[in-house]
Amino acid sequence: MPNRYEMIQRRILKDRVAQGTMCGLTVFAIVFLAAMAVGLYIKSVPVLENHSLFSLLGSSEWKPMKGEFGFLPFIAGTLWVTGLAIIMALPVSLLTGIYLTEYARPAVRKMVFPALDILAALPSVIYGVWGMLVIVPWISERVAPHFIEFSSGYTVLAAGIVLGVMVVPLLVSLFIEIFTNVPVELREASLALGATRWQTTRKVVLRKTIAGMLAATVLAVSRAMGETIAVLMVCGCVVGIPSHLLDACYPIPALIANNYGEMLSMPLYESALMFAALILFAVVLIFNLLSRIVLYRLERRSI
Amino acid sequence: MAIEIRDLNVHIKDAHILKHVNLTIPEKQITCIIGPSGCGKSTLLRTMNRLIDSTEGVRLEGKVLVDGADIIGSGAGITELRRRIGLVSQRPCPLPMSIFDNVAYGCRINKMYKRRKGLIYAVQKNLKAVGLWDEVRGRVRTPASRLSIGQQQRLCLARSLAVEPQYILADEATSALDPVSSKTVEDLFVALKRDYTIVMVTHTLHQALRIADNVVFMYLGEIVEAGPAAQVFHNPQQELTRNYLSGVFS
Repeated sequence: MPNRYEMIQRRILKDRVAQGTMCGLTVFAIVFLAAMAVGLYIKSVPVLENHSLFSLLGSSEWKPMKGEFGFLPFIAGTLWVTGLAIIMALPVSLLTGIYLTEYARPAVRKMVFPALDILAALPSVIYGVWGMLVIVPWISERVAPHFIEFSSGYTVLAAGIVLGVMVVPLLVSLFIEIFTNVPVELREASLALGATRWQTTRKVVLRKTIAGMLAATVLAVSRAMGETIAVLMVCGCVVGIPSHLLDACYPIPALIANNYGEMLSMPLYESALMFAALILFAVVLIFNLLSRIVLYRLERRSI
Repeated sequence: MAIEIRDLNVHIKDAHILKHVNLTIPEKQITCIIGPSGCGKSTLLRTMNRLIDSTEGVRLEGKVLVDGADIIGSGAGITELRRRIGLVSQRPCPLPMSIFDNVAYGCRINKMYKRRKGLIYAVQKNLKAVGLWDEVRGRVRTPASRLSIGQQQRLCLARSLAVEPQYILADEATSALDPVSSKTVEDLFVALKRDYTIVMVTHTLHQALRIADNVVFMYLGEIVEAGPAAQVFHNPQQELTRNYLSGVFS
């Protein structure tokens, strides 16, 4: 039987090993992120050497055969689709989250939560198929004729709807998580003053959680920007800056997924696609950084 | 007018929390509810302003008459009822806004003042009533969460007073406070009984001894003894009350 001192030594050793392992894994995650950024940059150097950054980001001429790479249509497509998706998903998710946490009976919650989890876990290709079979024909036959002569249905609108539907379960579960963290006493304090539940929700719960809601939205936006397959299936994949919702579009992830591995014999093409990935990376990064700053300000201001 | 409770039974799911409670709470006095933890003190308090409604699986039977009107089973009057019955909870919980907005919150909710001047005056008056005005003047626009715990509790009291209630319910309102703040809040309650009917759940017998006009002793969901403080403390009629007061159990 080992003596007391040895046992303590062994426990301390275990603690150190555990700490070291976890620390190492954490560092690995950060290094991995940095390595990816550096890797993408190195791969995009050839195209950056041949074109100015300004022309790459600002031009809408996309002619790989002639060596012209203007990424503006793809950036615009990404922003259009993501923006539309969030604009549609946000109110729906917010009201659903409020209903489930503030109004619904626990029995309802118990039924809805698993459904949300399943929706969030569905492979995105299923949403894509649903979009192609239901949303695209609906837009082509029912919606578009009111506004323009002809639309195939493969549009910004279709991509936005599909993406919006995909983001809703994520947002709802995040909102629920955030709202349930608000102390019950706070709600009761408001109710005890004669406030209705709606007043309490608006003036206390939403106010208390504004920072959290923002963080959740940023997460959803980041996810939406990177979503590939479902969007690719319904967006139309036509190069051009969309001017309205019934235009086709071509977001960055779709560009990369569609073209990588093909036509790589073309000079600079691979490098251009890597640069597209870098743009996406940078957009998501900048968006996250901006939201961090806003969050920091919000947290410092009140609460 | 006062609160009158007649044969009140409260069930939460399968548990019978309050059993055949009969009680009259006289106006403009302090009524302290004492008893060991888990005896239903808080449930009784929360029934009086129907905050109990938010508890899952709750069932109320009997009558609770506030100013003669039964509040059990009436749906629409609840928000107005809650305005008339202020609540001070165990831990102070300032709303996530400034000191001014905390006090103004209830007034705005209930649309009590048409002009801003009236609102400002009301906020000032109620902050003065709880002795907070001198401590916070000049920084009423800063977040309420920056106040000390004792100040926060007085702010919560000011917030309750601002909606002009007739009753104040306090649920162990001093238990989270340091002795000095606790004393301040306690004195406030004594001062306030001139204008308000106060019902207080308290965890310390000493506090009840100091400030109660009436004492209600509860045990396992039943009222064992209720009456004027002097009588309950100095000449208890029930064996159980005697044992509790002498510290046989707590």
